[in-house]
Amino acid sequence: MSWWDDALHRATAEVVLAGALAGLVGVQVVLRRLSFFTMALTHATFPGVVLASIIGVNILLGGVVAGGIVALGVAALTRRRGQDASAATGVLLSAGFALGAALVATQSGFSRDLSSFLVGSILTVGPPDLVTTAVALIVVAGVLAVGARPLMSIGFDRTGAQAAGMRVGAWDIVLLLTIQIAVVTMVPAVGTILAVSLIVAPAAAARLWSDRLPIVAGLSVGFAVGSGLAGLWASSRWDVAAGASISLTATAVLAVSWLLARVRTAPGRLAVDGAGAHP
Amino acid sequence: MQTALRYAAVSVGYDRTPVLTDVDLDLRPGQRLALVGPNGAGKSTLIKSVLGLAPILAGQASVLGADPAAARGRAGYVPQTDTLDADFPVSVRQVVMMGRYRRIGWWRPARAADRRAVAEALERVGLADRAGHRFGTLSGGQRQRVLLARAIAAEPRLLLLDEPFNGVDAVSQEAIVAVLRQLSAEGAALVLSTHDLGVARDLADLVCLINGRQWAVGPPAGTLTADKLRMTYGGHAVDLPDGRMMLVEP
Repeated sequence: MSWWDDALHRATAEVVLAGALAGLVGVQVVLRRLSFFTMALTHATFPGVVLASIIGVNILLGGVVAGGIVALGVAALTRRRGQDASAATGVLLSAGFALGAALVATQSGFSRDLSSFLVGSILTVGPPDLVTTAVALIVVAGVLAVGARPLMSIGFDRTGAQAAGMRVGAWDIVLLLTIQIAVVTMVPAVGTILAVSLIVAPAAAARLWSDRLPIVAGLSVGFAVGSGLAGLWASSRWDVAAGASISLTATAVLAVSWLLARVRTAPGRLAVDGAGAHP
Repeated sequence: MQTALRYAAVSVGYDRTPVLTDVDLDLRPGQRLALVGPNGAGKSTLIKSVLGLAPILAGQASVLGADPAAARGRAGYVPQTDTLDADFPVSVRQVVMMGRYRRIGWWRPARAADRRAVAEALERVGLADRAGHRFGTLSGGQRQRVLLARAIAAEPRLLLLDEPFNGVDAVSQEAIVAVLRQLSAEGAALVLSTHDLGVARDLADLVCLINGRQWAVGPPAGTLTADKLRMTYGGHAVDLPDGRMMLVEP
């Protein structure tokens, strides 16, 4: 019997890969303030996954297509002057979830699979899921590495990057699709609805610990993988749902980081502000 | 090249609605042009049109000898610092290095020449000692100087500055004015929008008065006159009893 035949071993490998993926993508999500958009993406992924499952095609494909439609829709809406992106995003979020719920209701005997799409079922992860997550991690890490300079320039100063000749719209789409690939890939591990916590919480926590982007990215990956492993352990130890315990662990990391950052920076931040006060 | 920027009967705006019409400009290398007008006059839109980011709806426009859209990326741009995300985890040195990205490319490592250009640009704006600080920890005036250094690092022949003195302390304003004079002495053409008539008078070779349309253009002595300012600012120009005039922003 090989190491991979044990469901818990496969689950461990999956949380490490999915955690690294979430941690990397999360940095961009937090820096670009796309948490709410990511939330909508996860909800829009849900009907895509359900529909793919009903018609019998690959659920990852269904999720990517559904999420891609929403990503491009939000990108198109936010590029029009005077459009409130948060209103469009909010409507798409609840509409996506409603569509998924309606699709589920058309099928009898579907309720058990429903919860696995929503909150994941990491102990049923098979070798193909692991391969998919590994490939997604390589692709996403490659895109973020190659695009590091444009993404940083655009995140910092959108108009300035445009004026410098960067193709801001094209990079927006690349980033949104990257987030979508991460969300869909994480469905088996933590489900569509909980994916957002593993993407946002570790990166938001990492941002509290450092002002330097490489360190923020490293910490974010570390927090996400650590949350995954700790959540998985807690799940097998106390027999609670793995997706939920992973999300709760990631949230706890953010809560503790926030408390420590407040204690730590009470005198420190004053010194930094003081240094900046000189003309 | 004889002309850095030439506009003939240009209208600019968005969604086919003109924000600003009748713009005629002819700016040569080494000249400094001040755009003066009230809030909402179209100063930022005019600057964006030069950068190729706002459409030219009518007229003939030439930026560094090319169509503005084709020249995109060749003109330097200094935005207002308060339009940027102060929480973004980026150091002063990294911000200035962004000015070199067009030369370096997306992923090639920066060369010694790039690092030297960044160091020199920071030296010129007097912030060499702040290179390692996070951008957001600097004062408003210092941030504006960092953004100027970023533009200098790109070595542009045409530089556009959007309200570079807004919310800027006196020390930073002096530093920025000195650098702008040097840049134009080196042959760069400059366009800056400003509310400050004193700055426009002292710094600019040409003043362009705009508010929905161009009301006047020419040397400061012939344009910053009571009549022309009253025409441009409409009801927002108030005559004071001592014969001077005050401009009231809506």
